[in-house]
Amino acid sequence: MSNTTHPFKYMPAPLFTDPYADEWTAPFWEAALRGQLTAPKCAECGTFRLPPSRWCAACHAQGLEYVDLPGTGTLYSFIIVRHALTPDQKEYVPYIPAVVSADGVSGNARFVANLVNVEPEDVQIGMKLKVTWNEVSATLTLPFWTVA
Amino acid sequence: MKDKAAIVGIGQTQRYRRGQSLPRSMMDMAMEATLSALADAGLTTNDLDGFAFYGGATVDPGSMAYNLGVPHVKFAATLTAGGSGSAGSVGMAAAVINAGLANVCVSLFVLQQVPTGRFGGSSEGPRKVPTASGGGAYGGGGNVSPEAAFISPASIMSPGHNFSMLTQRHMYQYGTKREHFAEVCISQRENAIKRPQSLRKDPLTLDDYFAARMISDPLCLFDYTMECDGAIAVITTSIDRAKTLPHTPVLISGSGIGGTGNNAHLLGNFQMPDVSFASAGARDVAKQMYEMAEVGPEDVDVALLYDHFSPMVLMQLEDFQLCPIGESGPFVAEGNIRFGTGSIPVNTHGGNLSDFYCPGMTHLVEGVEQLRGTAINQVEGAEIALCTGGPSSIPMTGTILKRYR
Repeated sequence: MSNTTHPFKYMPAPLFTDPYADEWTAPFWEAALRGQLTAPKCAECGTFRLPPSRWCAACHAQGLEYVDLPGTGTLYSFIIVRHALTPDQKEYVPYIPAVVSADGVSGNARFVANLVNVEPEDVQIGMKLKVTWNEVSATLTLPFWTVA
Repeated sequence: MKDKAAIVGIGQTQRYRRGQSLPRSMMDMAMEATLSALADAGLTTNDLDGFAFYGGATVDPGSMAYNLGVPHVKFAATLTAGGSGSAGSVGMAAAVINAGLANVCVSLFVLQQVPTGRFGGSSEGPRKVPTASGGGAYGGGGNVSPEAAFISPASIMSPGHNFSMLTQRHMYQYGTKREHFAEVCISQRENAIKRPQSLRKDPLTLDDYFAARMISDPLCLFDYTMECDGAIAVITTSIDRAKTLPHTPVLISGSGIGGTGNNAHLLGNFQMPDVSFASAGARDVAKQMYEMAEVGPEDVDVALLYDHFSPMVLMQLEDFQLCPIGESGPFVAEGNIRFGTGSIPVNTHGGNLSDFYCPGMTHLVEGVEQLRGTAINQVEGAEIALCTGGPSSIPMTGTILKRYR
């Protein structure tokens, strides 16, 4: 499937048109509108906090500081959804939810997004990936990952 | 609380396939199971004073007490999370009895999977996403948190999806294969085939397994639990009282009800440490449980491991120290979990996969029957049984049961 709202192969059904941002998450989505991948670090102890949490589990500070990332990473794990769980997804299977270790992010913080434009049979943990973006609405540009 | 309380009664309703229990209500089935368990224990509702539930339990202790006509409720609580609490519910009962809060506790689960109220759709937490069809069993519109926008657009929508993600990593890290998942499914099916009450008794071959459709790759149809309707209850009381009752007491020797804070699997954030990403999140629980029971994994005669998804049986074999971390695949391939021939028979009743799905309660019942010596697939001389709850959110639970001598 490929059109303006669904530009990549193996995208799942679109569920979000807004990032429901708050002060902890807004910088990520603002950078995303410019095609810049960022990640939030604890402003006090530097621990990466994904998804952006309001309290740091390591030091209990609240502040976050967003850092620019190169937009590359490594596939940590993935699944191939072959059976649609909702009617919305029926025309979009298979799709490939993935956990990605992004370059520039330390610790256990990982991104969760879909792999696109890659054949399911070719996906392997450890493969190098790069981020790609889909402009969903005026407020939401969503990250996807594809083979680097 | 080691060996201070014992399971003394078990009771269950008819076993229904998914959605087939209407027009019964969940309370109706919970009542039947509880009354049956009390009768098995030689007790009545006048003896019952504690409710140690888990998993939201789908009926609440207060309504149960009202409907049963329990004169004085001395303890009522429900463990949070889901099927993960099954084994721990009797641990909680033992703790409560040992502390003197109550004397006779019931733990139960009732399931009725009608179209309007499906259990197990995991519609909570970050996966709660707006869908074009307006929510439903898997989504539920609204309530989108800012954090959810970092997870939910990937359309990871069910426990099966979550556990597939862990499974894929396990395969990568340790070389685990689909043949190993198949061995879990096939060995449990073999056990179920010998039991009249088990629901899935068609022979299952390796060819059948590989011919099944993939649901969330690497998991296929047979890797998923079946879904059912029905209720199962167990009764726990003090060892002193248990000695006066009809059945051989089944002691609660140790229990773990918790987990590791950064291992919250079913929240679906996938931020677990690398060393425990591909695990059941039960290593700390196992350690606490064995220490309390003053036994080790080598002492376990039969392991009743919650099997919502077959690879999670493998990861529990590792977390509960029945084999080394990362070696569960070859361990099962060598036949170690087979009833009759293996070194540690697993899910001798057939489990959620092939016997009956009443989130974890069948594992407790099988543990009791093994230690009473009345199991259909009886492990000869069984003295110690391990029961676990379903790997998921905290609290994950595990309990050591021991035959009273």
